[in-house]
Amino acid sequence: MVSMIKKALFFSTLLLWCSGATHAADSWQDLRKAIEQKGQKGAGSGQHQPNPGGGLDLGVLRTLTGFSQQEEVAIGRQAAGNILGAAPLVKDDKLQKYVNRVGRWIASQSERSDLDWHFGVIETNDLNAFAAPGGYVFVTKGLYRSLQSESELAGVLAHEVGHVIKKHHLKILQQSRVVDMGSKVLTQKVGENEHIKNLIGNGAEIFARSLDKNAEFEADRIAVIVAARAGYDPFGLPTVLQDIGHVAKDDSRVSLLFKTHPHPDDRLAQLGEAIGDRLDGLKGQTLENRFYRIKP
Amino acid sequence: MNAARSMTALLVAFLLAVGTTLAAETGTALKADDLKAEPFRDAKKVGSLTAGDNVEILKKQGGWFQVKSPKGSGWVHMLSIRRGEARKGSGEIAGVLGLASGRAGTGSVVATTGIRGLSEEELKAAKYNETELKKVESLAATEAEARRFAAEGKLVARKVEYLSAPKATKGER
Repeated sequence: MVSMIKKALFFSTLLLWCSGATHAADSWQDLRKAIEQKGQKGAGSGQHQPNPGGGLDLGVLRTLTGFSQQEEVAIGRQAAGNILGAAPLVKDDKLQKYVNRVGRWIASQSERSDLDWHFGVIETNDLNAFAAPGGYVFVTKGLYRSLQSESELAGVLAHEVGHVIKKHHLKILQQSRVVDMGSKVLTQKVGENEHIKNLIGNGAEIFARSLDKNAEFEADRIAVIVAARAGYDPFGLPTVLQDIGHVAKDDSRVSLLFKTHPHPDDRLAQLGEAIGDRLDGLKGQTLENRFYRIKP
Repeated sequence: MNAARSMTALLVAFLLAVGTTLAAETGTALKADDLKAEPFRDAKKVGSLTAGDNVEILKKQGGWFQVKSPKGSGWVHMLSIRRGEARKGSGEIAGVLGLASGRAGTGSVVATTGIRGLSEEELKAAKYNETELKKVESLAATEAEARRFAAEGKLVARKVEYLSAPKATKGER
């Protein structure tokens, strides 16, 4: 089963790769224009203004991923709105506020502290967490309930922050964009929202897609370090992974997680190799007592 | 009075029994590693584990487990140990219940009815919800607020360099 998925992934990646970037340019300009117009109208929250000089930052970003920060936020906002359509926020403002404080503190230790970060716990018993481009991060209630300390929460959020700062989902979108070009959808003169929707796909499908497993390992490595920088015990995430590793594969609460991520045991092994003795002697807070527990 | 006392005795006995059960979480060594006298790498070596050794996990501290094994007791790095049974689990998060370090009992994920999981189909069918999105955005914490919150928890920011990928998977970046 796993090898089948891997094979399928491999081929789809190959396919995306082969489709090449031949038609990309015009339609891409369209999308960019559309998003920039949207930005100037003030949509979104606290978006960064377009860089008038087209200066270094944006230039570098585009070279790396093809998306400006403004585009990234617009895409992330749409994706975040979509996933909230599938699973709304847990109705507990204290919880949400708490998660935002932990998350913001974690994100502040990353190189993208400037983003407007948003965190939320969503109403589903699944064990999972999601990151959308631009700094939208969601943890499921099922996963939150399994946590035992603030440092574990910090570890989970830091993994998602890792995806955002490395733009892992944007890179996937960029690949799929290449496929979309062939479908002429983007070349039609449709509204800017349509452009973004076309890019993201149906609903919150983007969150059901697998990232490259190395992207997951990378996010794990980032997570322990960012948590350590924030003053937490860096082993929050590994502890969570050990717990998740115990859930049976056929448990429906982890089916999406296990489908889209390497097995926790493999993640722990990779992480162990990367850490070696690097974190020895790095103590940190676990803050079990401050950890906000959801009322049963 | 007597009844109350015997109730208390019973309760204590019960709690003790529960405590013992909880402390008896088992694990397996994923790789060969040293057993240390204390939870840090430079501590005195008091024994060693080989891959596949069964251990009993007594306590967790930072990245370390205090373990008991037929080869002796000591501290071993948590990433050298796989907690609980092998991958084929029973459906429960057994490990969460285990450790004696204050994790007793609170960690089991209770599958409540009525709320469904997020399947791929549900994600695909999801409709954009502006109201909830606005709500998330209204609950954001500012950087300054997060800094105050960190200070309250005695979280002190420090410099730590990122990890590089293990050699076997290099070239991914």
